[in-house]
Amino acid sequence: MGRDRIIFHLDINHCYAQIEEMKYPALRDVPMAVGGHEETRHGIILAKNDLAKKYGIKTGESLREAREKCEDLLIIPPSYDDYIYYTGEVKKIYRRYSDHVESFGLDEAWIDYTDSAKLFGDPENIVRKIQTEVKREIGLDVSAGLSWNKIFAKLGSDRKKPDGPAVITRDNYQETVWPLPASDLLYVGPATTRKLLARGIHTIGELAVYPQKYLKKAMGAAGVMISVFANGGDTSPVAESFVHPPVKSVGNSMTMVHDVDNPEDLRAVYYVLCEAVASRLRDHGMEGNVISISLRSSGLEWYGCEKTIERRTDVSETILETAMELVMRLYDFEKPLRAVGVSVSGLRPFSPVHQLSLFADEEALEKSRCTDLAMDTIRERFGYYAVQRACTAVDPELTSFNVKEEHTVHPVGYFQGRKMTVD
Amino acid sequence: MELYKRYVDVILCQKRNGDILPLYICWENGKKYKIDKVLSSERRASQVGGCGMRYACMIQGKRRNLFLEKNKWFIESYQP
Repeated sequence: MGRDRIIFHLDINHCYAQIEEMKYPALRDVPMAVGGHEETRHGIILAKNDLAKKYGIKTGESLREAREKCEDLLIIPPSYDDYIYYTGEVKKIYRRYSDHVESFGLDEAWIDYTDSAKLFGDPENIVRKIQTEVKREIGLDVSAGLSWNKIFAKLGSDRKKPDGPAVITRDNYQETVWPLPASDLLYVGPATTRKLLARGIHTIGELAVYPQKYLKKAMGAAGVMISVFANGGDTSPVAESFVHPPVKSVGNSMTMVHDVDNPEDLRAVYYVLCEAVASRLRDHGMEGNVISISLRSSGLEWYGCEKTIERRTDVSETILETAMELVMRLYDFEKPLRAVGVSVSGLRPFSPVHQLSLFADEEALEKSRCTDLAMDTIRERFGYYAVQRACTAVDPELTSFNVKEEHTVHPVGYFQGRKMTVD
Repeated sequence: MELYKRYVDVILCQKRNGDILPLYICWENGKKYKIDKVLSSERRASQVGGCGMRYACMIQGKRRNLFLEKNKWFIESYQP
């Protein structure tokens, strides 16, 4: 085994709420939460401050539930532009100390400090320095973990020590990490926790010593993965800054302002979604031939299916027609729909040369693509709402949303398209 | 004494090397205050909320903190 790596994990504590407090310091004196708009039904708590936490308010619960716990709770709608801007500024500070800074969502990041240690010296001091600089320059508190692998570094920052990093070494991990509940581990969600409990596994330590072959039998590769995580054997690298993994699919989904019970209204919603997906495909310079849809009814059941089309596309019209064809095949509108999504995969770089089809209307297709490009250009110069399809004017309340810019703050996967590597 | 966040108009000099030098602060009532000296410029969070580039300025013999927050200027003011 070679030299151990030095990995930091830094986490902006209750990020959205802290940024609001930084912008308006008076918010520190009242119970406050950042939550989606209730009237557009994205009504959940996204982050809360310390005073709100005292009332037992949890991230992810509905605004109504939160208000029941605390009547005076001040709920602020999210301003994503600011969150993206300020978290970006924080990451600029991280990059002063390493070119390997990998974001995990807006608020978290790993830093590989191994090679920078020769330049800047003692890792613990540097973590403290980063924390001080973020506080002084951006006004935000970040918690930190330090370990030889990404998983334990993240567990360290979750402990939220106010000053300095939680240091997890090969000498102390059995005392510090192993007593923690298994659900604290990355990729151990409610379903996995249940499976582990059924085998008498409560803590990370119990998971670590449990024979891997039984976990593999019960949970497949995921079982091996969490066992490796629990033993500190994860060797996945911290990605270099500005190196993005190749895009595998582009999709958007949304909860609608009100339930939709007919194909015409749904078509208008899908128009906006498909425009966004097509536009993002063009931004990436990609085209794809697998169109998938997902539908969620008012009874919260999920439906989904996909279709491979003959020719790869980045045209909204083609994606829309395929998506609607799938909807009509899959759903009878007995129950109204609450949320819908569409995504395109089977991607490859856009090619301007295509085999022409004898049966498709090539001219119409070219026209649709030109319309898309013209709309992109107009929106880039004059803003998203400067140009709209006429069909979206029928029910503007339902279709006036800018998916591309307002709905692309997604949680990201840990592996980001890489394969897992172990010692 | 309590401080307040006040957005202000600023007349500035954009230098050849990219540096920004604020010259005057313009109050809402039309009054213009000359910035006699910029003591320091650093990235800082402000105690009245917000963060950005902080220019510590001498104005009529008093030290005032002027911030460039994204693309707007504000001053930590003693007047609400």
